[in-house]
Amino acid sequence: MIIFAGKELQDSELLEEYNLAEQTVLHAVKSRRRSFKRKSHVSTCIEEDEEFDDTKRAAVNFYVYCTSPCANITVGKIRVRCFICKSGAFTVDSDPKNWNDVLKSKRITGHCEISQCTDGEVGWSEFYFKCSEHVTKGENDEAVALNLIRNNLHDIQCLACTDVRSKVFVYPCDDGHVTCLECFCEYAVSRLRERRFIFDNNLGYTLPCPAGCPNSLINQPYHFKALSKDHFEMYERFATEEYVLKNGGVLCPQPNCGAGILVDICDKVTCINGCGYVFCKKCLQGYHIGECLPKEEQLIIDITSYSVDPKLVSQSKWDDASKVKIKVSTKPCPKCRTATERDGGCMHMVCTRCLFPWCWLCQTEWTRECMGSHWFS
Amino acid sequence: MNNIATQRIKREFKEVIKSEELAKCSIKVDLVGDSYTELKGEIAGPPDTPYEGGIFLLEIKVPETYPFNPPKVRFMTKIWHPNISSVTGAICLDILKDQWAAAMTLRTVLLSLQALMAAAEPDDPQDAVVAKQYKEYPEIFAKTASHWTNVYAGGIICS
Repeated sequence: MIIFAGKELQDSELLEEYNLAEQTVLHAVKSRRRSFKRKSHVSTCIEEDEEFDDTKRAAVNFYVYCTSPCANITVGKIRVRCFICKSGAFTVDSDPKNWNDVLKSKRITGHCEISQCTDGEVGWSEFYFKCSEHVTKGENDEAVALNLIRNNLHDIQCLACTDVRSKVFVYPCDDGHVTCLECFCEYAVSRLRERRFIFDNNLGYTLPCPAGCPNSLINQPYHFKALSKDHFEMYERFATEEYVLKNGGVLCPQPNCGAGILVDICDKVTCINGCGYVFCKKCLQGYHIGECLPKEEQLIIDITSYSVDPKLVSQSKWDDASKVKIKVSTKPCPKCRTATERDGGCMHMVCTRCLFPWCWLCQTEWTRECMGSHWFS
Repeated sequence: MNNIATQRIKREFKEVIKSEELAKCSIKVDLVGDSYTELKGEIAGPPDTPYEGGIFLLEIKVPETYPFNPPKVRFMTKIWHPNISSVTGAICLDILKDQWAAAMTLRTVLLSLQALMAAAEPDDPQDAVVAKQYKEYPEIFAKTASHWTNVYAGGIICS
């Protein structure tokens, strides 16, 4: 028998009539079975998941991220193999009906044609995707399923711009909120710039549904490949930095370095794979023996170490204006020290990074006392 | 301003114009200038409150990243209310901060503010003086609020 993508091809048809693409992988096995037709018994599927609409089947596209050679979001094609032995010589008892059937394991039964595998018992299928935009490089040429990017078959309007677009992003919340792909990118970039992505230990650096639904984190970070190249690099850098900081690491303070370093208890840190700078973990200044000095004192020592015209010195500082601007317009979060700008509203601050509630005036935790005496001014 | 924010505000503007609340003169929005970055809102004081009969003007600034971030809203009309600054008009309302969601609109913001006027939350964030009065001397509070309504928010007739 000849198998293609989980289906046995009929002897009555010619191969060319199946309209297979170049380099298509077919499996030819000696049929060892089965005079009886297996009855399809799909595992119980109670979830009311959106079904792949048969009437519009032709319009159903699966989107995938093809790492190589396309390095892009492309249209994918679904393939199936044996859950146990990973062989493609596998026939399914029924088609997957929804994304849960495809993404979760052991949902669709089938039969593996490899003799050492589970003959006689119920076999489980495992679905995966291939990129349909390059000629396949063989059976291991897989692509990452981007199940949240879909064709807008039901003409649902984007919750952000209210347009009805052909390609949409369906958030993994109970309501399945939808934005167009452009607005998904806009949403991600605005959250990225504010550093308001959420670092989840299991799912990585990600975002929830923009409608504020609970338990709605995007669970496949490859979806952020929809961003431009620059923004995706920003995403990767921030994700790495957040990981380093969450794990007690530090970022190298040298300009143009910023390498993440996971440190032990010692205060002396060397930027090993980066610029080689040796610095103090506590004050992020060059390494020193003894207690850290307050910043102002260090500055005085630096300047007075040999005599130059202070006026000239003050005019000739690289990026000094930004530092001054940051210093005068921000206050550090009392908990994680993230420089925070207040651009209006009341004195009640919530740190965008560590979520600590604090008072702009007291620079300590927000209390009822703050509420009562100086909530607005 | 980027296209998404502009387009969205345009639609919301129409939504408010078509709304039943506008027909009942209860909320309204107007453009300030040609761009959609700044708008002027209007809320009618809810009935059976000290704000009844008053029209309260709001300054609405739409950020570049709208609707993924909330609009900045401030009372331009002076108001005596525990959750609104009697000095600056600043509002400390959760949906204008961390509880904002992209599915909310100008209309829902104006209606929420109207609801806040009808039901203050004196146990939550508050303007110290006003809140103390609200809790301890409700009659005096009602008189002051109603006086402020007459002085600052009165006399504008909805057409």
